[in-house]
Amino acid sequence: MLSQGAEEERMTINCKGEILILSKDRAIYWASKKMLIISDLHLGKSATFRQAGIQVPSTISDNDLQKLSGVLAEFSPEILLVTGDMFHHKINSDIDSFKSWRTQYPLLKIILVKGNHDILKAADYAGLDIEIHPEELLCFPFRFVHDQPEKADEYYNITGHIHPGITVYGKSRQKLRLPCFYFGAHCAILPAFSLFTGLSKIKTEEGDQFYAITPNKVVAV
Amino acid sequence: MELEQSKGYKQVIKWLKSSKKKPFKFQTDAWAYYAEGYSGLVNAPTGFGKTFSMFLAVLIDELNSRADQKKDTKPAKNSKKSAAKSKKAYGLKLIWITPLRSLAKDLARAMTEVCTELEIDWHVGVRNGDTAQSEKLKQKKQMPEVLIITPESMHLLLAQKNTSDYFDELQCIVADEWHELLGSKRGVMAELAISRIKGLVYEKHPERLLRIWGISATIGNMEQALDVLVPYPDVLKTIVVADIEKKIEIRSILPDHIDMLPWAGHLGHKLAHKLLPIIARSKTTLIFCNTRGQAELWYQNLLKLDENLAGQIAIHHGSIDYELRNWIEDAIHTGVLKAVISTSSLDLGVDFKPVDTVVQIGSPKGVARFLQRAGRSGHSPHETSKIYFLPTHALELVEAAAIKEAAKTNNIESREPVIMAFDTLIQYLVTLAVGDGFDDKKIYAEVKETHAFRELEAAEWSWMMQFITTGGDSLTAYNEFNKVELEEGLWKVKSRQIAMRHRLHIGTIVSDAMVKVKYLTGGYVGMLEESFISKIKPGNSFTLAGRVLEFVMVKEMTVLVRKSKLKSAITPSWMGGRMSLSANLGVILRKKYNETLDKNHQDEELDIVLPLFERQAKVSHVPKDDEFLIELIKTRDGHHFFAYPFEGRQVHEVLAALIAYRLGRLKPITFSIAMNDYGFELLSEQPIPLDEENIKDLFSPLNLGEDIVASINSTEMARRKFRDIACISGLVFQGYPGKYVANRHLQSSSGLFFNVFSDYDKHNLLLRQAYDEAFYQQIEEPRLAAALHRIQASKVIIVKAESYTPLCFPIKVDSLRENMSTEELGERIARMTAEAEKADAKPGSRRRKNDHQL
Repeated sequence: MLSQGAEEERMTINCKGEILILSKDRAIYWASKKMLIISDLHLGKSATFRQAGIQVPSTISDNDLQKLSGVLAEFSPEILLVTGDMFHHKINSDIDSFKSWRTQYPLLKIILVKGNHDILKAADYAGLDIEIHPEELLCFPFRFVHDQPEKADEYYNITGHIHPGITVYGKSRQKLRLPCFYFGAHCAILPAFSLFTGLSKIKTEEGDQFYAITPNKVVAV
Repeated sequence: MELEQSKGYKQVIKWLKSSKKKPFKFQTDAWAYYAEGYSGLVNAPTGFGKTFSMFLAVLIDELNSRADQKKDTKPAKNSKKSAAKSKKAYGLKLIWITPLRSLAKDLARAMTEVCTELEIDWHVGVRNGDTAQSEKLKQKKQMPEVLIITPESMHLLLAQKNTSDYFDELQCIVADEWHELLGSKRGVMAELAISRIKGLVYEKHPERLLRIWGISATIGNMEQALDVLVPYPDVLKTIVVADIEKKIEIRSILPDHIDMLPWAGHLGHKLAHKLLPIIARSKTTLIFCNTRGQAELWYQNLLKLDENLAGQIAIHHGSIDYELRNWIEDAIHTGVLKAVISTSSLDLGVDFKPVDTVVQIGSPKGVARFLQRAGRSGHSPHETSKIYFLPTHALELVEAAAIKEAAKTNNIESREPVIMAFDTLIQYLVTLAVGDGFDDKKIYAEVKETHAFRELEAAEWSWMMQFITTGGDSLTAYNEFNKVELEEGLWKVKSRQIAMRHRLHIGTIVSDAMVKVKYLTGGYVGMLEESFISKIKPGNSFTLAGRVLEFVMVKEMTVLVRKSKLKSAITPSWMGGRMSLSANLGVILRKKYNETLDKNHQDEELDIVLPLFERQAKVSHVPKDDEFLIELIKTRDGHHFFAYPFEGRQVHEVLAALIAYRLGRLKPITFSIAMNDYGFELLSEQPIPLDEENIKDLFSPLNLGEDIVASINSTEMARRKFRDIACISGLVFQGYPGKYVANRHLQSSSGLFFNVFSDYDKHNLLLRQAYDEAFYQQIEEPRLAAALHRIQASKVIIVKAESYTPLCFPIKVDSLRENMSTEELGERIARMTAEAEKADAKPGSRRRKNDHQL
């Protein structure tokens, strides 16, 4: 199903007949639709922690936005699609800085497929110029959705939610744990875009493909 | 007035006489010092009434001041004042700190008895994690005169409102089993709580002489132990040492032949049948294991060996439910049980009279611990303590011989006090803020006086204040951060949610999230780590508290189970610290290696182990104490490098990382690292760039500091230390058993914070603490430097062995491993993936477990 293009910083793959570019910055670029896809941005997470009395530097979310600016500059997409958990919790100071960041990209269309953490009010999303899809976005051959549906159908699901990680084992009892892109039979899972997130192991099946993300490249494993 | 002439002294002596007892000299010494206003430390062997040396001192003082009061009030007719006094009960007079909850109940019972017999109308209360809420409320209204408390509960007390009134009548704080608290962050908690209580007493009653006493078993650094407990320069202090010696008989349980013992392992089941006659011969036997999992296995195993033991043996460890543990402790007292299998949960304190025999399974890792455990038998004065050592693998026989010698020569370890524990201090400050609030100038002065924070700098203090008040350094003050706020000159926590969360996690013992285990029909069994439960499925069985249980489901953070029909099942594992061999024991161990082959010794253990040594000599070499052995072995796994400094696991961990780092500078290479108390292993799939020429450079003490920092940076050591630090300082909230507060918006992990701080907040003090802990506590730098100097002076012997040797085998099978790499990450993955594909292509090349030849 998948074929690999060998490029250093990006990994180009063919998924359901569509060409997708996997970026080491934890994003997928769908060139034919000029669409950049990311997931689990968790904007406002650090501020949520601070409100609860847990000290987290705000540079984290600034850094995530900077990273996002970087990918946008690299691919110049027309659409930024977020498959859920764009915002971590409620409106807070981190989201204020997102607001000012947003004004730099007046032409960029931002679409959010809502995730479990996205609980802002409709007016808030409108104020940030974000188009909302509460459940899913269908864009053949893909269904963009936050968590993978239980039943498989003709759409291939592209999801986020679980912050996938993979452990690579080597000879002489060596072991490495890295964030990854996952491509299964019916579903792909994006790594969490935000660096302030953990990793969870995923159950694998025969034929599943993993693309581990290192600081410099994307590697098929 | 001389103490002997006082009314209280006479009364106590009379009471002792009536039960045909006479005080020991160290006890009367302690009473006299106490009467003169001294603080100090009492050091006596177990079983000689250490408790009475302090408790009776306080009672004598009380009886005397009552006698004085009678004299004073009679002529003065100060009826108003005394009437007011009699209405109000006395209030808290004595705080008795114990490290273990299980000690409290028996202590309270003993103390109440003494009070009744001396006709002192005092109430003795207990306050710790096991105390019922109703009892705590009662104490809030009226404090008992004597409060037996853990360091954690002391802090919880300080986290309440209006606590200062509690200490109006306080005369003395006693830290029992101080040696046990000393080397841990719990000791720091005790230091901080004492400094605050002392401060509170001084504010209200500047004339009061608050005495602080410790009670301790023998350790190598008694003077320092006193200095940590009573750091105050203006206080009179002394050490009272008992000149009595406890007789201890140590025996090893020996295999008939060395082949009965495996080369590696930690269970020792092969010798279990030799335990049965010992249990049968003794009244009650305490069997000490090093881990909870091991205890569970031994319980099952003993029952399998002798079904008649059913109902006569029990298991006791920290993850067993409070009620059950209580029942077991009572049963030991009454002598119903023939044997109890236990972990360190029964190490300390109370006197179990029927216990006449102790068994230690596996290496106790230190002399002090071993003697402490031995002291659990033959508890009353002049009785002999009897302890058996049961080795779990062949080389532990040498340890048995070493420990016997150390006990004979009284070569007992020091306990290094913890200093500069920023995480504990941050927790303490928030604790005070949750309580009545604090004045930062006053508390800074108090904290500076403690031993742990003597070296605290003003800049570090202000960093910590910022950490809990503005949430960052002064440049980035966050307005939404609202943990600790200033109100009328006092720093307080105003949010009730934050206060509640903080109270739930006061303490410095960090474990995995624990879940309670309960029968479907009701009744708690104990606790398990969440990670274990997540791995088993409904219908599976496991053992806990010696019972075989079938897992039904998890409901509201409780694991529901029913009794299983199976006879045996998997044993849960609990994360626990791995203890390391002490330096003292390491030295003796090296000496014993010398003696074994030379046959110039009196130890039967060494005779038994001799064939194994001969084998080691044949395939490799047995290192003498002026030699340093390195074994190079090539197997299917890769290139192994084994080195044997005999310095204990902790030192080896750092040493291994250091050598790996230095080798990695010669060429990019990746190692998997393993170690035990004898040595360490570096394993790589590439040849290791090592020869006779560069070996001494690798182990050179030059540039030690820099290289260690660099090697710690490139391994997981600091990250692992940070796990505890993040929890203690309140960055990561885990919740408590059964009290889990689900809050998905605040889910995080210590690893995440470690990354975040490393990337964005390099000057974070907690991060620095993680490195410091890895650096100073883990490696005991002087010890490491001494080891390297010793290696420089030794003759290095490099052996290229054909297969695994008896010495390297226990290290090779150790599963706790660490990675260290100087290769570029992407290339490393590419290489690992290529290897994996090669391995897949060759079926049947998978290595079998334990593929060694015996």
